[in-house]
Amino acid sequence: MSVVAAARLGEARSAVDVYRDPVRLLGLTAQLGLALLLVRQFQLESRTLFHVAALAAVGFVVHALLPLRYRLPFFACLSLASVWVAFSVRDGMWLLAVGIALIGVCHLPVRFGIRIALLVAAGAALAALRARWLPLSAPWQPGVWPILGSMFMFRLALYLHALRHDERKPTVARTFAYFFMLPNVCFPLFPVVDYTTFARTHYDADPYTTYQTGITWIARGIVHLLLYRLVYAHVTGDPTQVADLGDLTQYVLSTFLLYLRISGQFHLIVGMLHLFGFRLPETHRLYYLASSFTDFWRRINIYWKDFMMKLVYYPSFFRLRRWGGTVALVGATLIVFVLTWLLHSYQWFWILGTFPVTRQDMLFWGVLGVLVLANALYEARHGRKRTLGKKRWSAALAVRTVGTFCTICVLWSLWSTESIAEWVAMWRAAARADARDVLLLAGLLGGGLAIAGRNWDAPALRRDATTPFYRQPAVRTTAMLLALLILGEPAVYDRLGASAAAVVASLQRNTLNPREEALRHKGYYEQLDAAPRFEAQLWQEDAKKPADFVPFGRTKVHHRSKDFLRSRLAPSTSITYLGKPFTTNRWAMRDRDYELAKPPNTVRVAMLGPSHVMGAGVGDGETFEAVLEARLNREGPGAPDRAYELLNFSGTNYSLPQEMTMLDERAFAFQPGIVVVTAYTRMRNPLAPHLAGVLRRQIPVPYAGLDSILRRGGADRRLPLRELAGRIRVLTDDIQAWTLRRIADECRRRGAVPVLIVLDNPGENYQQPAHAMRTAADAGFLVLDLHDVYGPGDQHPTLWATEWDHHPNAEGHRRIADRLFDEFRRNGVKLRLAGAAATPTPSADEP
Amino acid sequence: MDAIGQTVKDYILETFLPGEDPRELTDSTPLITSGILDSLATLELVGFLERQYGIELQAHEVDQSRLGTLDSIARLVRAKLETQA
Repeated sequence: MSVVAAARLGEARSAVDVYRDPVRLLGLTAQLGLALLLVRQFQLESRTLFHVAALAAVGFVVHALLPLRYRLPFFACLSLASVWVAFSVRDGMWLLAVGIALIGVCHLPVRFGIRIALLVAAGAALAALRARWLPLSAPWQPGVWPILGSMFMFRLALYLHALRHDERKPTVARTFAYFFMLPNVCFPLFPVVDYTTFARTHYDADPYTTYQTGITWIARGIVHLLLYRLVYAHVTGDPTQVADLGDLTQYVLSTFLLYLRISGQFHLIVGMLHLFGFRLPETHRLYYLASSFTDFWRRINIYWKDFMMKLVYYPSFFRLRRWGGTVALVGATLIVFVLTWLLHSYQWFWILGTFPVTRQDMLFWGVLGVLVLANALYEARHGRKRTLGKKRWSAALAVRTVGTFCTICVLWSLWSTESIAEWVAMWRAAARADARDVLLLAGLLGGGLAIAGRNWDAPALRRDATTPFYRQPAVRTTAMLLALLILGEPAVYDRLGASAAAVVASLQRNTLNPREEALRHKGYYEQLDAAPRFEAQLWQEDAKKPADFVPFGRTKVHHRSKDFLRSRLAPSTSITYLGKPFTTNRWAMRDRDYELAKPPNTVRVAMLGPSHVMGAGVGDGETFEAVLEARLNREGPGAPDRAYELLNFSGTNYSLPQEMTMLDERAFAFQPGIVVVTAYTRMRNPLAPHLAGVLRRQIPVPYAGLDSILRRGGADRRLPLRELAGRIRVLTDDIQAWTLRRIADECRRRGAVPVLIVLDNPGENYQQPAHAMRTAADAGFLVLDLHDVYGPGDQHPTLWATEWDHHPNAEGHRRIADRLFDEFRRNGVKLRLAGAAATPTPSADEP
Repeated sequence: MDAIGQTVKDYILETFLPGEDPRELTDSTPLITSGILDSLATLELVGFLERQYGIELQAHEVDQSRLGTLDSIARLVRAKLETQA
């Protein structure tokens, strides 16, 4: 059937169906409504997705009721409208203007080669802007780049190909619909939809079947995204903490399972496009059940595979085939994989502004390319078994499928680790296994074989005349959506027991897992070397960073030292960090200047902590330490006769032993009456890397007690860094306890009151540092728990320094200062503040 | 199904679907999306069509709209033969 005939048939069918069968339309709309509720209930992906999905749901109903000839222009308008749902008016205008200019070049009345050259020149100019090679900066926000890139980086090539080879020329509506496709604004990673397929499949079949398929795939996408979140939050581990075969199995399996995020997103995208009549190919069809490497390549991302086939593989093969089929096959396959590797980094370039080239990437694509090639050569010689409609269980198929899955898992784990050395070290853990680990592995393999032996994918060519009611796609999809919606209600999942309820509740939060949270924190100070991963979430934060962002560790105020402290602030230095003035005094404190000798009738408070205490993200004078100092001097206990001086000795990413060293080396010289150290959710993270670095560089440990703990724990500096850090990590609780006790003893000896504050960044997944709090209280610290200082969770994003840097902003610091002021008044006696208010002020957390 | 369609059907059944019921393969059976024709099989089919009918296919003609079903393959071959005639 020609495209025109198909369109006519579609028009006839849709005109009849919509008006004769409004119940069916109502059923589809109801399913879509349920899907929308689920997106909101589980906060899937981003807030923008919910808004765009709502726009799509309303647009779907209007679109379905329109005559066919108006539908494509309507979809194009809806797609353009979605640009302003995601971006500001100004950014939206820029996105549109750049897009129209690029499309315009494709249609210039000049030779085809000149148009290509002009597009390459335009692309190079945009790339120079993206990478900040030019002295100009883009007039739009950084968040526009990933979407602009995803709309044009590959589609332009396919569009040009269609202009060159397709019989039907594009219309304005189809072109706009193609480039600005509705859900694209919320997905920087978008299927590479072929223009010809986009045009050919538009209403080429029964519209209601197409709509229903779309909703079924949207529901499937939601399930994938929920499973992804389960794996992301509860299964994925840290490769540096893999200790035995069980950990290794869990880690290796979870890295590949995280790909559910991409398959979920693609199902949502392709499903939404079905709602507007685009009957695009099914994405990620049973990709975990690929029975060979060629099969895996075919299934995992059919859009990418088709793109490479069309623009690279077939043209290469046709050029090379004069040297024989085998040479052409080998040559074309290798070209495809080399280009896939490079284009993978090219995608990242538009998202992050950098072109990551890592050995893990190279190895992953290299090994996968060789496996696919070997498989292709085997199939070329021996053929590939195909079946029509047979679903019998087969042992050979089971073994092939499980073998392929395991190999891909191993490759994926290599791709996902931060370095090859880390990956190799991780595999040493396989030698440590107990019976439980072996049973787990055997169970997984057995279950895998049982599932994989059935040919789930045999094409059902001749459909049964009738499908039972309960197996109708509409019924199954509605039931699944309803079940998920009910399960997501707190009143329901609270009855499942505490553990299950906690798991379901965790699926409703779109937050980073502990590993990525730690990496994000690390990224504030250092340039991370690991390749970004689409299936992880951290890159979305990184994509919001301005291209000229310099990590704190690379600024001139950050000074690396070769002593136990390892890093400190440089004295008398001014920089601009996150757009705010950041100045240090002559004593290398992020603070105003003070004399070394304490003035009479003055209470000095030494503040020690990591970056959020130092005030990363706020200007000079906006840190809670500065705000609190000013308020204490105005209205604190004994003020104005008594003066208060709060001295900020904090530094970036300081561990507790580093806080202690700063106290010994600097703070005590200022005779503080109160010493405040900071505990926080991630306080264990910097400790092992710091001490491992100290030992590896043969820097003496200046504390006999700490040195003794390290020696007893087998922290030998001759061990490889990863293993050394692993041994120290096991000792973290002991080291923190010893450090807190020593700080308390030293404070007592010097007549200072030790205080431990518990303080995170806004929006952190708070986990009480219970061990540190308990130890501190036992050692004589006054423990002040400020974890709830930022108020309800929905307020936290308003308290971030920037959208991508979650240190508290000035308002966040003000809240901390207010809370601490109350705590100081309330605990005036314990803090030895003579003249403290006789009647304690209730704290914010008391009724 | 015309002679071209029948010849192509016989070739596909013999080469890629040995032992399968010929009635399962119809004019409109999706060959590419169902996985019957993967990239290798597609190229083998191209070689067969070129040898059998003395036509020459271009790389950009290897796509689903032209090779997606027996019906579309027969149309492609007929169009090529008419152009050459």
